[in-house]
Amino acid sequence: MSTSVDAEQAWKDLQRIRVPQERVYDEFERSASGGRGMTYGTAALMWVFLAGVGMDLPGWGVGLFVAAYVGLLSLLIVSRSRRSRMQLHHTRCPGRMWAAFGAAAVLVGGTIVLADHLTEPLEPIYAGLIQATAGVAAYLLSLGPANRWAADSVRSGGGPALDEEAGR
Amino acid sequence: MSTPAGFDELIHPATRLSVVALLAVTEWADFAFVRDSLSLSDSALSKQLHTLEGAGYLEIQKEGGGRIRRTKVRLTDRGRTAFEGHVAALRAIVDSAVPVNGAAQQQSHAEAGR
Repeated sequence: MSTSVDAEQAWKDLQRIRVPQERVYDEFERSASGGRGMTYGTAALMWVFLAGVGMDLPGWGVGLFVAAYVGLLSLLIVSRSRRSRMQLHHTRCPGRMWAAFGAAAVLVGGTIVLADHLTEPLEPIYAGLIQATAGVAAYLLSLGPANRWAADSVRSGGGPALDEEAGR
Repeated sequence: MSTPAGFDELIHPATRLSVVALLAVTEWADFAFVRDSLSLSDSALSKQLHTLEGAGYLEIQKEGGGRIRRTKVRLTDRGRTAFEGHVAALRAIVDSAVPVNGAAQQQSHAEAGR
């Protein structure tokens, strides 16, 4: 059996394709903005880690902190990914997502280095607490805008084929 | 009117087109997410998924058990290629008719491009 499709029907079909894809972008945007549990969970972990390694610990202590941090962070990420309802196709992940991730990492890292420099005269325990607080503050302040910026780019043409085709 | 190459009769029906279009921008999607996004019943979606699975266009993967059991749906390479071909065919149909429906199409194109 062969189906005959006129231009108007074909155009409607091209438009129809966009509707479910918008639902996917909505879901991506919703999950990128992050639940409070994930945001504060990662922030709390980061604070404990930074405060811990800032206390002039011996090598094995730093190693222990790093291992615990990586392990707990992985647990959080795995638990979140198990709850997610879909995963965006890799061709739809724009460069802006990685740029946002990189920029946030540079900002947090830069804040920690600057705090380290400014708190040099203080006792290691106080310096560590200040560095941790400054780093986590930078993380929390940059997370929301970075996520929104990355999610916007997915909707506004992160992927190759369909948006362009349906938009012609 | 003849249909251009790449036009896929299996994907063409509205519900299946929506299902494949949704899956085309995902690595995988949860059954419940697809159902809710397309406002379908479990049985209606299940029927369409099995038709597409039978053609090798998607894979259905069941994970977990009991209350945390979930069903993931993933478009195969074959399904993705078929969908891209179908979209290209639809575009060819629209493009070939621009002289006939020029004004209306161009207006729609402009709106979609915004």
